[in-house]
Amino acid sequence: MARRRKKLEAGSWKLEAGTQQPPPPAAQAAPPPAPQGPPRNWPPVADRTLIGKSIKRLDGPDKAQGKAKYTYDIIRPGMLYGRLLGSPHAHARIKGIDLSAAEKLAGVKAVLALKDPAGEGANGKAFYQGDEIAAVAATTEDIAEDAVRLIKVEYEPLQALATAAQAMSADAPAVFPKGNVSQQSLQQEGDVEAALKSAAHIVEGTYSTQVQTHTSLETHGGICEWEGEKLTAWVSTQAVHGARDGIAGSLKIPQTNVRVITDYMGGGFGSKLGFDYQVVVCARLAKLANAPVKLMLNRKEEHLVTGNRPSAYAKVRAGVDAKGKLVAFDAETWGTGGAGAGAAFRVPYPIYVFPSRRQRHRDAYTNAGPQRAFRAPGHPQASFITEVVLDELADKLRLDPLELRMRNVLSATDPSQEDPSRQWRKYFPMGAEKIGWSKRHPTGDPASGPIKRGMGCAGNTWGGAGSRATRANCQILPDGSVLARIGTQDIGTGTRTLVAIVAAETMGLPLTGVKAEIGDTNYPFAPGSGGSVTVASVSATMRIACENARDELFAKVAPALGVEPSALAAKDGRIQVKDAPSKGMTWREACKLLGVQPISADGAFGPGLSSTGTSGVQFADVEVDIETGVTRVKRIVCVQDCGTIMDKLTAESQVYGGIIMGLGFALYENRILDRNTARMVNPNMEWYLLPGMSDIPEIDITLVDQPDRGPVGLGEPPVISTAAAVANAVANAIGVRVRKLPLSPDAILQALNEERTGGTL
Amino acid sequence: MAPKKKDEPGFSRRSFLKTVGAGGVAAGVLGPASTAEGQNVKAIGPAASPIQLNVNGKFHRLEVEPRVTLLDALRTRLNITGPKRVCDRGSCGACTVILDDRTVYSCSMLAIEAQGKVIRTAEGLTEGTVLHSVQQAFCDHDGLMCGFCTPGFVTAAVALLEKNPKPTRQEARKALDGNICRCGTYPRVLEAALNPKSAAGVKRG
Amino acid sequence: MKSFAYVNAAGEKEAVAALSPERGRFLPLAGGMDLLALMKDYIAQPDRLVNVKGLDRAIARTPDGGLRIGAAVTLTQLAESAEARRMYPAMTDAAAEVGTPQIRNVGTVGGNINQRPRCWYFRNEEFPCLKKGGSTCYAVDGENQYHAIFGDGPCHIVHPSSLAVPSVALNAKFRVVGPTGERVVDAGEYFQMPDRNLFGETVLAPNELLTHVMLPPPGAARTATYEVRFKQSHDWPLAFASVALSMSGDTVRGARVVMGAVAPIPWRSPAAEAALTGKRLTEEAAMTAADAAVQGAKPMTLNSYKVQIARTAVKRAIMKAAGLKTV
Repeated sequence: MARRRKKLEAGSWKLEAGTQQPPPPAAQAAPPPAPQGPPRNWPPVADRTLIGKSIKRLDGPDKAQGKAKYTYDIIRPGMLYGRLLGSPHAHARIKGIDLSAAEKLAGVKAVLALKDPAGEGANGKAFYQGDEIAAVAATTEDIAEDAVRLIKVEYEPLQALATAAQAMSADAPAVFPKGNVSQQSLQQEGDVEAALKSAAHIVEGTYSTQVQTHTSLETHGGICEWEGEKLTAWVSTQAVHGARDGIAGSLKIPQTNVRVITDYMGGGFGSKLGFDYQVVVCARLAKLANAPVKLMLNRKEEHLVTGNRPSAYAKVRAGVDAKGKLVAFDAETWGTGGAGAGAAFRVPYPIYVFPSRRQRHRDAYTNAGPQRAFRAPGHPQASFITEVVLDELADKLRLDPLELRMRNVLSATDPSQEDPSRQWRKYFPMGAEKIGWSKRHPTGDPASGPIKRGMGCAGNTWGGAGSRATRANCQILPDGSVLARIGTQDIGTGTRTLVAIVAAETMGLPLTGVKAEIGDTNYPFAPGSGGSVTVASVSATMRIACENARDELFAKVAPALGVEPSALAAKDGRIQVKDAPSKGMTWREACKLLGVQPISADGAFGPGLSSTGTSGVQFADVEVDIETGVTRVKRIVCVQDCGTIMDKLTAESQVYGGIIMGLGFALYENRILDRNTARMVNPNMEWYLLPGMSDIPEIDITLVDQPDRGPVGLGEPPVISTAAAVANAVANAIGVRVRKLPLSPDAILQALNEERTGGTL
Repeated sequence: MAPKKKDEPGFSRRSFLKTVGAGGVAAGVLGPASTAEGQNVKAIGPAASPIQLNVNGKFHRLEVEPRVTLLDALRTRLNITGPKRVCDRGSCGACTVILDDRTVYSCSMLAIEAQGKVIRTAEGLTEGTVLHSVQQAFCDHDGLMCGFCTPGFVTAAVALLEKNPKPTRQEARKALDGNICRCGTYPRVLEAALNPKSAAGVKRG
Repeated sequence: MKSFAYVNAAGEKEAVAALSPERGRFLPLAGGMDLLALMKDYIAQPDRLVNVKGLDRAIARTPDGGLRIGAAVTLTQLAESAEARRMYPAMTDAAAEVGTPQIRNVGTVGGNINQRPRCWYFRNEEFPCLKKGGSTCYAVDGENQYHAIFGDGPCHIVHPSSLAVPSVALNAKFRVVGPTGERVVDAGEYFQMPDRNLFGETVLAPNELLTHVMLPPPGAARTATYEVRFKQSHDWPLAFASVALSMSGDTVRGARVVMGAVAPIPWRSPAAEAALTGKRLTEEAAMTAADAAVQGAKPMTLNSYKVQIARTAVKRAIMKAAGLKTV
């Protein structure tokens, strides 16, 4: 999908308002030809020495000692500091930009205008608070900030759209060139009207979820250093290759002239998958100043311009028959992804069978920073809406909501076969047992006193397949060292350790016997770390590269042992004959046979080593104080699969992380815009609330190993159903349905005041 | 009745010296500044002036303007980048350092005011190549993912255990409430803080 | 932040002399937890900071059996003071809940009492609000879910200090020094409504300093602070209340009931106090007093839920002071 690009007069590059952040290249390019060769496989489970075990992160010590250098930490000789000037107005025409006072300030080495007062469209306007107007590079950050404040911009403030409702209103001002609201899209199956007419019970309601910002702790940005026409960029990115291509494209220089390095990065969650405009600006400043420039966003800028999860609204009518089979889900949906950006999500959440469904969706554009992919895009919103509706239908039926789910959740297409990616029928009862579901009371805790307890549940699904575009390289050196190289990045998931695990397992070496090298576009291509594709892409490809290298070593060793290469195995630091293990030599001895010529073998993603499709469920046990509206989650129970668990320790951490992010979405996080000016009122970490230590409940994780499937991605699945489970638990506790997120005290108290649901068994 | 000197408001000479700099060097460019009554007041800055910071057992001399925070002095002048800039407003804890024996947000302290204090960061907790027992516990329990919040959490946990070697879960949680993690490592950070390799390993350096 | 000069004051006199009568020009720097953030956001742009951490940082018994707390005492020091806890639990409860350990380790009593409001229109440079000399209170038609439920404006901040409220409930006095010498101000008189003082929140002149909080002898008073906040780890209270009860058996002889986070100043409720006086202290009596406390509330468009939370805070503070179960 090509995106139109417009070059500004001032020589910089910016997406035209009305287009989205480009998706990660790997996801959009035409897939390479089908993988070659026979399907490979992992060692038999009984033989695995590292895979599936709890392996500590290789970079743990450096991180715990504060020695790991992130982009934000790196200091290059002669480095300058860049700062941006963002529009204080959410919608304004730029009438003039006067850089002169900034240019004159001592210590300032470069100043750029990024908008063009004479320009049309996005060029000459600001479409959201923080929209970049100018940039400065100076010898210290303080001077850069002083300089930014000396830039005089003449704005003509225009009326701004702060909410989807404002954008969709009949008398909304025309803000966006293509209109404030998209055309309505329609998806349908079956005949919802007929199905609803025949339904025994119907639920009708309007549901909503809020805008959530990624709030990565390390902000976006980079360091750009030119050497002639070659650019090295240390970028806080989830996609070194994507960043390279984007930077090269924007600057109109060959991709081969750009190297992107990301040794460590402080979180992305989807916001760092594309290239970043700010890094391109940084590169331009560096060129102009003839010195390296570090430009890192501050926290306010990070909240304003680096993306978000769009809001979601759904006006739903859903029906169920008398036997508890779902019959129809009809929804009018909308949401805002900010300036010219979409807010798509699919309801009903696809793990439940609704024979008839219809969704009519519109995107409303507002004067706010455009959305970016945020951990399981669309899923937490759709899960919340669907799962709350399900509980409401269960109440109408006077049926246990767990039972309603069991009657309607997807299972294998062929009932005689088990589908490892559709295990909810197994997981729901497992979770129910662990949380004590049998003790759950019907809707509305009958206990006296203001503290009400309740339980709820929800399910999730995700793909997480590997990318065929992935490549890797493995080198075996004559002294026995092993290098495993791949241009993937470790965004906190443990990818660096994963690469080493695969290499060491394949070579029969301890983890210390191999070196994993990642995070550099000089290394073979790997897709951006998004969509939960990394574990499958990287392990499979690295396995193949390592096997190829190992097989080359076998070919060298076999004659010395008088056997065929296929008779050999690499095990316990030796190359030995499979059927006669005492016949062999040590790894070092084997590598000496290489003489002066190292082995270098490449691998391309291939079949047999990974899979796609995960299932999971979450249960929540909450306590709501109905005199204050304060909800405390006491316990989360999660049952989740991810194909083959490659590293149990880091996989479990992923699940904790997803659940905790889901809790933030359920209770605390909210990007709040002032409804009159569309400025964000909480662009900080004081009022953009993230859970802290004392807010974390007991979390009980059962990570189901499917050791023969090959790995499937786990980054996104655990964030999806948490808020839905918590919302259902809250309703179970207080006897009143809250149909919006976040479940803040005012939302709870408002719901208690407005409406009481019946529904008991 | 309390000792006499406690009832007297104002500086003691000792506290004055502590604030200015235990090195005894009159801090920087002291120029006269006027007061309402025309008295001369010794002012530092706004230009940069020399200060001395004691970080991880080493004394560093640097020149900073008064407006430079301790965090920025550590990170951009001394290349001590364990403490991170994340919110820069005292809301997230990524900049936590131990000052004397208490945790502080280094983003919310002026570098010139950190003189005369003993400053410790995560980097200073390792002995040679041997991780501090708390650092080792973070690795063992996987109390870290992207790692950006980790140095702050490590210092907060060390400060806790130096004062309270056997905290309850509740006490440990409260002590770590000043640190935010976006990756969601809290459960394992808590386990790490409650289970350092050996309590004996947690001693003031 | 903007460049500034920095002055270490040798004592009270020098600190006062180093300040200026012109509002905002020279500012006292205590722990810095509030001021440095204000400066980074360019809400405060002083040319000079005067370090006042050297002011009295002792907690000392006074001859009359009360307690004198120096303004430079840190919140951690106050929260950890066994003596203060024994005498005035309402005060130490409040101190222990401020912010986070890192904040409490440097934040001072004086700084906490004199901190500026958290209102997000006040704290964001792009909004030239009333309090900053502009002509509009943006909260009125805007996002006011955390704003005041008492008072008539024109500014609708809630006073942010956790210590201010128990100070009023405990009938504290504040010692203030200025160019003309020292004065003592009742805590109940120290904080000012926006119609009396728009650009500040207290009676302090720009060249005055709060040096001590003086608490009267506690006698047999039973005191407590109860706070309702959403996040447990680190969050501002939605509403809280400090209560001081003097009891005769289980009958209330006298009461002081003060609410926090509901008005531009600590909000004392004579109606709640009257409802308690002479009554046997039961949950019902606490509820009646709590209802009285929120009579006359004037919620804004988004914050009527705070009325319920304030009511709960008052009820539970009374229960806590009485030693009864709060929940």
